[in-house]
Amino acid sequence: MDILWTGVLALLLIGYFALEGSGIGAGMLLPALGRTQPDRDRVVAAMAPFVLANEVWLVAVAGVLFGAFPSIEGEVLSGLYPLVVTLLVSWILRDAGLWFRRRLDGHAWRAGWDWMICLGSYGLALSWGMALVAMAGGLSGPPIGLPGLGGGLVVAAAFALHGWTFLSWRLPGQVTGASRTGRALLASAGVAALPVAVLLAALAPWLLEHIAPSGTLNVLSVMILPFAPLMLGAQVWVWRTFNPRRATDRIPSFF
Amino acid sequence: MDVLDLARTQFAVTGSLHFLFVVLTLGLAPLVAIMHTRHAMTGRPVHERMTRFWGQIYVINYALGIVTGLVMEFQFGMSWSGLSHYAGDIFGAPLAIETLGAFFLESTFLGLWIFGWHRLPKWLHLACIWLVTLTAYVSAFWIMVANSFLQNPAGAVERGDHLVLTDFGALVTNPMLTMALPHVLGAGLWTGGFVVMGASAYHLFRRTAGQEFFTGSLRLGVVAAFAGSLVTVGFGYAQFGPVSLFQPDKFNGAPLAGIGLGFMILIGQLLQFLIMFVLLPTVYWLPRWRWAHPILMLITPLPFLAAIFGWLAREVGRQPWLVYGRLTVADAMSPGLTRGMITLSFVGFVGVLGLLAVVDYLLIARTVRRGPGAATLGADGPADSTERAHALSL
Repeated sequence: MDILWTGVLALLLIGYFALEGSGIGAGMLLPALGRTQPDRDRVVAAMAPFVLANEVWLVAVAGVLFGAFPSIEGEVLSGLYPLVVTLLVSWILRDAGLWFRRRLDGHAWRAGWDWMICLGSYGLALSWGMALVAMAGGLSGPPIGLPGLGGGLVVAAAFALHGWTFLSWRLPGQVTGASRTGRALLASAGVAALPVAVLLAALAPWLLEHIAPSGTLNVLSVMILPFAPLMLGAQVWVWRTFNPRRATDRIPSFF
Repeated sequence: MDVLDLARTQFAVTGSLHFLFVVLTLGLAPLVAIMHTRHAMTGRPVHERMTRFWGQIYVINYALGIVTGLVMEFQFGMSWSGLSHYAGDIFGAPLAIETLGAFFLESTFLGLWIFGWHRLPKWLHLACIWLVTLTAYVSAFWIMVANSFLQNPAGAVERGDHLVLTDFGALVTNPMLTMALPHVLGAGLWTGGFVVMGASAYHLFRRTAGQEFFTGSLRLGVVAAFAGSLVTVGFGYAQFGPVSLFQPDKFNGAPLAGIGLGFMILIGQLLQFLIMFVLLPTVYWLPRWRWAHPILMLITPLPFLAAIFGWLAREVGRQPWLVYGRLTVADAMSPGLTRGMITLSFVGFVGVLGLLAVVDYLLIARTVRRGPGAATLGADGPADSTERAHALSL
């Protein structure tokens, strides 16, 4: 049971990086790839159907952390306090940009929220990189520093690559001018998830040491595992429905 | 204000903002699902337009529900790590079940519903909005399980320096839960019904196009508000039993809790009588009574106000306890939380979320004002009909 729930936590966090890394990367590249408003609309429309299904993996990480690793949850979140604040504010601004950008007609309105999406995406990537470095150092040093910034840049570069590959897969030959296969997308997802996978492997013994007692884990297993096939099935359904072979983007996007 | 007051205020403000949007989400979701069902069954254009218009209002409202909820979830670990240390083995379980067994599915299916117009087969697309509604209600259940544990720590015993779970059944049948959950869900339906009623009254009063659309919507709103108000008021009074048993001094010690309770009952009871004795009996003629429409618009925000007063009563009346009788709010605060840290996050969260909440309401108001013709959700069919056939091959 201990190993199972440590595995669930790892799967969710790695899944978040592999999936949402593409959305964050696409957001970072928004001004570079979308020089004109129609191009930016195309980039956002390409990522939009996946955003809700992707970002929810991190919500699930926080839930599992609270349920199965309560002692770690408080330690990590208060140990990384300024980074968690930056991460959340960036996330909020990015999401607000996506939901609000098409709700008014003005050019300045949409362009302004597009900058929010870009800013929020950079904020997410950089604070994730810094958080991973701080976790690797055992939360001993200050959460923001030069090594952390290096980590932030590495994660940002990995997300940018993943976002670029995603857009070349979803909109072949359009905004990036290139086209990539599903296999290339899988590889870039691996690159995006690599930093966090390495960290999780190193932290596994520490995680196992701080896991909740078996009574709590049994309750979680009974209540959650029956839904696991439905959760995975819904995710697969999203990727099948909105993959580029099925979904030509002639329909105006809601985001 | 000291660090503790700042941390409490931060949580109270994000919690109140969250609930303002969640209460409408809970109420609009079933109404939109009903409209979508009528659209799928009859194929009449008016039902499709209703689904898209009210669905768009639901979706815009949902945005703030998500971001305020995120902040709340993370704030537990940031500001109140003493809670996860002392009661995390129990309190964490319902939150984990909520995120994985409910919100994960809700968010995934909502994405499929929003972006699945003209792309998913008709009945699968309809299934998405019903699954979103169902998982939203399941979410509310688990969040209320967690909250009720704080009001009355059932199913747990203290071992060493922390609580352990001994009886999961007692956790989910907590008397502080069983009467409060229907109360909250009823309040959601009431709020959703009032928003549909008020927005329809606006269009009927202005005599804009689509009188059939808003006549039907106004009637649906009044009927939903009637059902919601009965449940809310009934289960509201029913809570006095468990409260007097488990928290006898809830409304005596804390003046703010008493004020919240008083105003909630005042608003709730007056409105319920108005719905039951005036609005419901006249629901057939109400869409034609132009003089009544400004009144309907004016009372639309009242359920939101009553909802906030209700939470003030429930949560302020728990003070100084975080876990009633076991752990105080002061003891639950994260060790090492400084004034600088909490000020930074206060400005970040409360400032940003407050501004976005205002923007969100303005956007909802604008969507209402521009009417069903301007709804962008699900607008425009596919360029060629082969695409729909293609999606069927899923």
